[in-house]
Amino acid sequence: MAGSNEVNANESKMVVPLNTWVLISNFKLAYNMLRRPDGTFDRHLAEFLDRKVPANATPVNGVVSFDVLIDRPNNLLARIYRPAPSTASAAPLLTDLYRAPSSDPFPVIIFFHGGSFAHSSSNSAIYDSLCRRFVSLCGAVVVSVNYRRAPDHKYPCAYDDGWAALKWASGEPWLRSGKDAKLRVFLAGDSSGGNIAHHVALRAAESGIEVAGNVLLNAMFGGNCRTESEKRLDGKYFVTIQDRDWYWKAYLPEGADRDHPACNPFGPKGVKLEGLPFTKSLVIVAGLDLVQDWQLAYADGLKKAGHFVKLVYREQATIGFYLLPNTNHFYQVMEEIKNFVGSNLL
Amino acid sequence: MKRGHQDILHGGGGWYAVAPEMERGKRKTTMGAAEEGGDVDELLAALGYKVRSSEMADVAHKLEQLEMAMVSSAATNDDALLSHLASDTVHYNPSDLITWVDNILSELNAPPPPLPTPQSLPSADAYDLEPLPALPAPATPLVLGSDPQSEVAPSPRDRKRMKVCSSPPSSSTTTDAATSAAAALPVVVVDSQEAGIRLVHALLAGAEAVQQDNLKAADALVKQISLLATSQGGAMRKVAGYFAEALARRIYRPQPRGGVGCCSFDSVAFDDMLHMHFYESCPFLKFAHFTANQAILEAFAGCRRVHVVDFGMRQGMQWPALLQALALRPGGPPSFRLTGIGPPQPDNSDALQEVGWKLAQLAESIRVDFRYRGFVAASLADLEPYMLLDQDADGGGGGKDEEPEVVAVNSVFELHRLLARPGALEKVLGTVRAVRPRIVTVVEQEANHNGGTFQERFTEALHYYSTMFDSLEGGAAAAGADDGGPDQALSEMYLGRQICNVVACEGAERTERHETLAQWRGRMDRAGFEPVPIGSNAFKQASMLLALFAGGDGYRVEEKDGCLTLGWHTRPLIATSAWRVAAPAEDPLSALAAR
Repeated sequence: MAGSNEVNANESKMVVPLNTWVLISNFKLAYNMLRRPDGTFDRHLAEFLDRKVPANATPVNGVVSFDVLIDRPNNLLARIYRPAPSTASAAPLLTDLYRAPSSDPFPVIIFFHGGSFAHSSSNSAIYDSLCRRFVSLCGAVVVSVNYRRAPDHKYPCAYDDGWAALKWASGEPWLRSGKDAKLRVFLAGDSSGGNIAHHVALRAAESGIEVAGNVLLNAMFGGNCRTESEKRLDGKYFVTIQDRDWYWKAYLPEGADRDHPACNPFGPKGVKLEGLPFTKSLVIVAGLDLVQDWQLAYADGLKKAGHFVKLVYREQATIGFYLLPNTNHFYQVMEEIKNFVGSNLL
Repeated sequence: MKRGHQDILHGGGGWYAVAPEMERGKRKTTMGAAEEGGDVDELLAALGYKVRSSEMADVAHKLEQLEMAMVSSAATNDDALLSHLASDTVHYNPSDLITWVDNILSELNAPPPPLPTPQSLPSADAYDLEPLPALPAPATPLVLGSDPQSEVAPSPRDRKRMKVCSSPPSSSTTTDAATSAAAALPVVVVDSQEAGIRLVHALLAGAEAVQQDNLKAADALVKQISLLATSQGGAMRKVAGYFAEALARRIYRPQPRGGVGCCSFDSVAFDDMLHMHFYESCPFLKFAHFTANQAILEAFAGCRRVHVVDFGMRQGMQWPALLQALALRPGGPPSFRLTGIGPPQPDNSDALQEVGWKLAQLAESIRVDFRYRGFVAASLADLEPYMLLDQDADGGGGGKDEEPEVVAVNSVFELHRLLARPGALEKVLGTVRAVRPRIVTVVEQEANHNGGTFQERFTEALHYYSTMFDSLEGGAAAAGADDGGPDQALSEMYLGRQICNVVACEGAERTERHETLAQWRGRMDRAGFEPVPIGSNAFKQASMLLALFAGGDGYRVEEKDGCLTLGWHTRPLIATSAWRVAAPAEDPLSALAAR
């Protein structure tokens, strides 16, 4: 690890509020305990430590949530967040929950939580909070997918589950809106969730399912070579090359390296995106995230393949800036997301 | 100074008088947290972490210390430290960040425990409880899990646990949690087909009609429900059936009196039989017993004379596993006394004594010194402390070196019944306090079936039991069976009787007055108890137990503020919590007396 530990702590402390620093450092240290050198993962301790919240059909700040079983054989659950039905004052009836929030077009955001493919769930408190915010921000119905995680379930399980969620959403009449009764679906995710969003969007493009837009927040990409940002920022802002390597090894198939297209979509083994009806993308990059070079390369790759990308680069932002509403990064990025979704709600 | 349970000591935390007429007032904290400065950081609280703003810098500093320790061990390629932290350390209450970090730091910095005498040092195995089937089963015990756990002498752990409890958040946050949690309605939809939704809609409309006293409409809806239900399959059909029946009872018999339907005074034996099938067909009771036993085992560490009071003895299915675990303790088992409470038997049979006799036989076969006493009580509120205290203490054996017996009080699905009569719970908790238990284990349904209007209760119950029934279906399906056979059917009947009670009964007869963990926290806190957190070792073992269970996939164990819940998918359904009598941290006298 580059630099002395004290220096690192001081540096990261200077760029984030103290409570953010405490939150992310807590995750960092807890996660260190969960990753075993032999590649196994202490799932029990992970679940014990993860702070979870139940779904709540009673409106809180105008948002209700409920869980649905999308695919019974895989126990694939998703948490649905939506604006509180207008008929309900107290507990909404189930029929109210399944009614479209509006007859005007509204976005459906299929959200893939982060956690480097191994951590968190759709009922993790940090993601419950974020999804509720998306509802209020965009007037959206958010579908947070509880995808299968590594190393218990490797590639392509997470993508398969994401695809299952998209297909499920396509089959729900109440998620359609507008005069053309269309599903106006966005794929969004942070960290590994951003990676999943890309790959599900790719499958959608290959299958002719229309996706209105992709929102990638600090998406997790990588490759075999060590980029400049990885070397420069290794260990400085909560993340190390070593832990990135561990998570890729846990997710990718046995024997695969980081140029596997799941990890490196525009690398030597990547799929060509030219000519595919791939969706528009909002790519948000934190300037203190060590994988930013891969994220910037991703945005570049999309552009070169002729696809629309809006790049938002937050110079002094670290990973996890979107978890707490206590910085300009948070509010300005939320605004970008709102604008992107709003302007692509065709 | 002899401390009776009526005494009040004022101090940082303050004792609370037991007598129900004493006003708790606004002072809530058990450990003086309110006196110390500061509110919790709201942003972190929203994410499940309780950290006082005034402590933020301190927490940050400790995190840095922890990281340095971890980094230096990695630098020397010493994975032992990290793996120790992960697999050997028992973690408690991750929401209480500062204490969580403190515990880990103390694991790192703790001096080696004092060389113990063989009797007082429980090893890792003592904490491994094997899941045993119902009586009789004095088989060779399986040791669950192969992870070695480091030996921990009781006192550092106790000190740790004391520290855990002396830290904030609680009381004011607890109250807030209670109010907001009371209004939370977790909904898990497993069947989103149109027909299923219409069925639920009809049920809720039926409840609304009853709420509005529109019995004609309610009647029509009940008929519609029955019709809709026939087109359904599986769990939804059965749940709808029970709720429709319960609604009908409510409509046609507004004031049931004894001998009527679901609220009738059925034979206790029938009830116990249903209970046993419920035990067999799904993991809820096994989880309850397992997690409660784990807490009791830890509380009994190093004690030579122990006494368990079981508020709902029934067939005593919880106790063989505990007896076995105690028998396996290095240094040998303690002498074990069990007091079993049970309801009067209309047929005058002495089921309580029979159960005790069977347990005695088991105890003898595994060489555990065992004494048993059964008490028949129509209500737990009929119990008085003298019945539970050790009346043989001054008599035979012992002498002046005799250790006082250490008491555990165990209640699995019993406390909520007391809410049917005002003052009953307070009386019982007062009795519990009076026997000065080392630990009180409580398992309750994680639902609010006791608050608000009838309609709200009905709605909550519908979602709760739908999930419950779905778990029974899920278990059967995963076991590859078309249905779970008689076990499942009888389990459904067991739950059906609860549904009927929640929906059709009122007043003293409505005994299924389930409340949420947050609500129980408030009640226990007001009655002068403080939480004893259940740790990651119990969590892990409970999770592994579930994996052994067919259909285990859908079941989830979760940790919440030191308690463990078992749920189906994302919906917690039952919660295990552990308690002890609250004591002001600084007062050594009361700390001693509390032991």
